[in-house]
Amino acid sequence: MDAVSQLQRQFVEHATSLYREGYLDDQFTQLLKLQDESNPDFVVEVVSLFFEDSEKLLNNLATALQQESIDYKQVDAHVHQFKGSSSSIGAQRVKNVCVVFRNYCDEKNLDGCLVCLEQAKNEYLLVRNKLEALFNLEQQILQAGGSVPMMA
Amino acid sequence: MTVEEIRGGDNEIDRFPIGMRVLAVDDNPTCLKLLEGLLRKCQYQVTTTNQAITALNMLRENRNRFDLIISDVYMPDMDGFKLLELVGLEMDLPVIMLSGNGDRNLVMKGITHGACDYLVKPVRLEELRNIWQHVIRRKVESKSQSKSKHNGEKSDQGNEGGDQNEKLNRKRKDEEEDEENGNESDDPTAKKKPRVVWSIDLHRKFVAAINQLGIEKAVPKRILDLMNVDGLTRENVASHLQKYRLYLKRISQQANMVVAFGSNNDASSYMRMGPLDGLGDFRTLSCSGRLPNATYAPSGMLGRLNSATGVSLHSLTAPPLVQPNHTQTKLQPVVSSNHQNMNLFHGIPPSFDLDQLQYFNKPNAQLTDVNSIEESQIFTGTNLADYTSIDEPRMFRGSSTFTDPISVLANQVGVKLTSTGTESFNLLSNSSGFLDQSGGNQPPNFSSNLIPVGESYSYPAVINGGVPIEAHGGGLVGDVVQNVNRSLPNQKGLPTLAASALACYGSLSGPVSHCRPNGGGSTLVQTDHTKLQSGFVSSNGYGSLDDIIPGMMKQEQGATVLMNGEFGYNPYIAPDRDYDDEPR
Repeated sequence: MDAVSQLQRQFVEHATSLYREGYLDDQFTQLLKLQDESNPDFVVEVVSLFFEDSEKLLNNLATALQQESIDYKQVDAHVHQFKGSSSSIGAQRVKNVCVVFRNYCDEKNLDGCLVCLEQAKNEYLLVRNKLEALFNLEQQILQAGGSVPMMA
Repeated sequence: MTVEEIRGGDNEIDRFPIGMRVLAVDDNPTCLKLLEGLLRKCQYQVTTTNQAITALNMLRENRNRFDLIISDVYMPDMDGFKLLELVGLEMDLPVIMLSGNGDRNLVMKGITHGACDYLVKPVRLEELRNIWQHVIRRKVESKSQSKSKHNGEKSDQGNEGGDQNEKLNRKRKDEEEDEENGNESDDPTAKKKPRVVWSIDLHRKFVAAINQLGIEKAVPKRILDLMNVDGLTRENVASHLQKYRLYLKRISQQANMVVAFGSNNDASSYMRMGPLDGLGDFRTLSCSGRLPNATYAPSGMLGRLNSATGVSLHSLTAPPLVQPNHTQTKLQPVVSSNHQNMNLFHGIPPSFDLDQLQYFNKPNAQLTDVNSIEESQIFTGTNLADYTSIDEPRMFRGSSTFTDPISVLANQVGVKLTSTGTESFNLLSNSSGFLDQSGGNQPPNFSSNLIPVGESYSYPAVINGGVPIEAHGGGLVGDVVQNVNRSLPNQKGLPTLAASALACYGSLSGPVSHCRPNGGGSTLVQTDHTKLQSGFVSSNGYGSLDDIIPGMMKQEQGATVLMNGEFGYNPYIAPDRDYDDEPR
């Protein structure tokens, strides 16, 4: 099998596993649909924004939860943002952690919040790595002259 | 596509919504980017900003630069609802709210603040494909106005377009309004009709005119005449009326929903706004013997009561409106606790309405002391449904003119419901209504009792539908109820109302105790209000207090006990002796 086909196969496998394992949900598919000739790098742009935003939020959250007197409203605001952006791109697992995180914020449960922060960070890193791998494959396919398989 | 192309072209309908100019506001960069992508996919012309203030400035600079605004709800620099209000008020542009939170209360809040639509993130492309209808809807109105100005050809197209649009919009718009707006070609106005900004004053005049005419008879032409504002066209009024009616509809639905949900801060706040402003201090009532602004908030409630729905009480719960403004009485929005209350009113027969109020109204000279009813008027029993929840500040501003409904009440009761009215008043009104039923305007004890209502006036509580009983005034409710029973033998309906009122108004607790706790009143309060309900229900709709009270008394020991208690209090206490035929 030639290089392109192989890459394409890898791409599809990787993408499928992301959905299957819940890292991504249908919203990501929606995102892909928005990419077209007039907007050729749309997905990468949005996802990059997500990465940037997420890292900032995670830092803010860590800081907020380290305060002596924790402002849970502020923490909640950050989590809300995080939840919004993760659900926008379809980062399902991250979003799910955010949901739990918000509950802990409501309860002002510091331990719960800290646990969620860790989880959120982990999930974020996981999905980030996987998405980067996916884009990488995509690049390779394109460079090899192939076309990127459409994800249903 | 430019505005001109869209507005003036023959194929406005054809090309639109392509090129529709949308302003997207969201503080979350990822979401904003996504939204931009989605909107571009729909072939709209998108401008984005992550700051509400920037958006507002852009709009203020040139409101014709955009056709539609989509805004997130949670933003750091300005609340999305605030932006929504300002845009709606100042620029009269359609605004769509966007939020990650699809909580019903929030959605309601968005709608009542004037949003054309409320979308929940993540937004899907299909949803955005339809948003142009909001723009067309508004354009249709201006088109119908300007179409006659154009030459025949254009006019025809405008009409057709308008008709088409109307059809498209029909689902969501009031059909009458559509036809009215679309088919009439009044004086031709400028092709691009300058947008009319519905300022508070203007809206107030508008509402005043409507009140004067009566909501059913309020047609744009007559409203326009009454308003007597230069430069305002019938079309402006027509479109505003359309929105207003929708608003009223939603509010009245919400009122019920709010009740159902109980709390909602937002929703209840709406309900609260209007009439209830004033639920004054019960104490004041008792002291002064006049009903402090009975915030007859639950106009809807009354209205509801009137309606055949068994759950008219639900509307009562709207009591949140009834919240007294007085610092003394801090009535919690009944709404929040409404769930419970709802049951209370089941028993209330639909007939409960103004008549009953009249019952109360009658005779208390003191009642007359009450200030003029303002927003509370809206809540009069009749047609309250329409007004009930006009909580929107804008709406209410004009509410002062809603004299019709309330005035009826007021006249009868002598109590003027003012926004600052006391809840007790409401109760009073309600009670009167109830009483009326039974006796037809002879507020037996009420007359005298009515006044004191302030404190013991648990009626308002009743309005709330009951939940309040416990919530608010815990003991009071009981007391009130008791009083009610006692003092008003005929006031069948009252006890329950009172109780609920008490419940609602929490504040009742204070005064009630003065009144003469019927012993056990407080304990009663704690009783499950279902008891009251049952008692309440048993009463036959307040047809005759006599029937009710006995019934109530029988039914619920606990509840009835309360009933026996002072009804609302002061007023009842006195008459209480007189009227009380039943052994306590």
